[in-house]
Amino acid sequence: MSQENRTGRPRGRPPEGGASRLSRTEAGLRGPFLCFFTFAVLWLVVASLLALIAAVKLHRPDFLGACALTTYGRVAAAAQDTFVYGWGFNALFAVNFWLMAQLGRFEFRNGWLATLGGLAWNLALTYGVVQVFRGELGGFALLDLPREVGPVLILAFLFAGLWSVVTYARRPSGHNFASQWYVIGATFAFPIVFLLGQLMVQWFPSVGTVPALAHAWFVQNLMLLWFGASTLASAYYFIPKILGRPLRHYYLAPVGFWTFFLFAGWTAPAALLGGPIPIWLQSVGVVASVMSIVPVIIVGINFYSTLSVDGGWSRAWNSTTLRFVTVGVVCFSLFGGLSTVFSARDFSAVLAFTSFAQGQQQLLTYGALTMTLFGASYFVLPRLTGSLWPSAKLVHLHFWAASLGLLVAVVASLAGGWQVGHLLADPAVSTAQAGDATAVWTLAGSIAAMLFLVAHVAFALNAFGMILASTSPTSEGRPD
Amino acid sequence: MKNLNLILAGVFFTVAAAWSGLVITAQVQLGSLGRAPSEEGGPLFPSREPGLAIQGRTVYLDLGCVACHTQQVRPAGQGSDIARGYGVRSSVARDYVLQSQVLIGQRRLGPDLANYGARAKSEVELAAFLRTPASGVNHPPYAFLDAERSTALVAYLKSLRQDYSSPEAKLKQ
Repeated sequence: MSQENRTGRPRGRPPEGGASRLSRTEAGLRGPFLCFFTFAVLWLVVASLLALIAAVKLHRPDFLGACALTTYGRVAAAAQDTFVYGWGFNALFAVNFWLMAQLGRFEFRNGWLATLGGLAWNLALTYGVVQVFRGELGGFALLDLPREVGPVLILAFLFAGLWSVVTYARRPSGHNFASQWYVIGATFAFPIVFLLGQLMVQWFPSVGTVPALAHAWFVQNLMLLWFGASTLASAYYFIPKILGRPLRHYYLAPVGFWTFFLFAGWTAPAALLGGPIPIWLQSVGVVASVMSIVPVIIVGINFYSTLSVDGGWSRAWNSTTLRFVTVGVVCFSLFGGLSTVFSARDFSAVLAFTSFAQGQQQLLTYGALTMTLFGASYFVLPRLTGSLWPSAKLVHLHFWAASLGLLVAVVASLAGGWQVGHLLADPAVSTAQAGDATAVWTLAGSIAAMLFLVAHVAFALNAFGMILASTSPTSEGRPD
Repeated sequence: MKNLNLILAGVFFTVAAAWSGLVITAQVQLGSLGRAPSEEGGPLFPSREPGLAIQGRTVYLDLGCVACHTQQVRPAGQGSDIARGYGVRSSVARDYVLQSQVLIGQRRLGPDLANYGARAKSEVELAAFLRTPASGVNHPPYAFLDAERSTALVAYLKSLRQDYSSPEAKLKQ
């Protein structure tokens, strides 16, 4: 492994960098990054545990069924909220921070403001999740935290997230790269989207099904403009960085960026095909979903053509960071392809309301985003802590358990959704009969959830071991 | 692509365009919908929910029932909803105008409930089912529900009806 030493551990800081000294850029980042990262990993373990409970309840409905606290609806909502707002956001705050500071050679001087935002974010989320378990949950996924949590999250985001824009605006070098565009776009778009979603769904819901459409618009933007764009930002950074060569066909990257942002928001009605919204809106959603293949193809050309020369795939496999990131890139392409193909009305008629959509979302939120964030962690943490990853075995366990879990989860959701959809196309088949016929896929979902939990505990043990062993290399030391 | 203001303006435009094109236009088209009679001079539909059903909606929400049940009947040709008896016609936006929180749902682990009141069992049977579901039915037992919340939830489920004619979705004679 090019990034590993003879013991098989990801190596972290190159020897010539000085094992215990940080650059000025890194010194300013260390505190906020480790704060966000610690919260992220804690939430990831909590989310995995909740997801496992929810998965088991799908085939054993009476499991933990003695009280209202642990109904499937509450546990599933809490699992999704902790995964998205706990793991996803905290990890992205950290990694986007790091990307922007590194690319712009920017030295943070008021990192405590970001840390303060992070603390507010996590306190509000903790309160929200507790309230979900108490039964204060809304009817729309990912906007189901109590509405009073929303304004705090938006304010916290401004403190924690908007540093990325400041970093770009005040960067001393004129360096300009695709990763920076995606981070800026994601960071600027999300608070607007979140604010509008909160207002239209939770605070001032309109009449009839307009809030359902506003909710679909919010979720699509959250998934694509925040998670998707941030995933691409990391991939655009780590692939050329670790391969040590420029991206091929880089001139296409601006087209990919603008088409990605242009079409993403319009895809929302495709999630409501056949629903009680105007048909013309549904058609707009289908057209936008088809057009969304354009940026997927462009980023695919950038990444795969770069990986396909001079043994790039082999080097990607042998680098811990790039192995995770490459899995993320492949999952992003699969997600884009599936979203385009299965937005067609004929498919929607069969697959709507099944686990198929969940499988697609897993490809993005776990396959693309989470795997890329894992890869980024293996690159960044050794540099900020000055330590090696404590256990190579845990690194391998993390990769294989996460990858296998991802494969099983996605196949179970897609195949299970496909089979249920086709069974239910026959009106003579009841939902209970369809559920019995596809019980194997539900069981596979529980196995996948178990694998995820194993992977995440292994990752957490290794990461916290590394952070605790850190020698606090807070030197104002070497220049960048 | 070096100009920050250009990137911010472009991103803002793309977000604002999608928001205006989808949500604001939907608000313009659907925001003024109200109740309507199924025939001239007839009663207005959808009917107002009884007070107990409004309490039951809160129970439905806080148990997280929406995670497994949808409340939207798709038109014939777009799934088998009508053929399997979930409704007598497709759901339209007007059906939801009185609902303070629309619960159309996204996943069906159980049957659709948009028109459940029209095919529901008796209150007693429904309450018993919620406490102890029939064997072979993949539904969690809600034995922890006290009588008050159970009665409210049953009233809510019984109130769910879309079996009237609407200007956008006439019932076939």
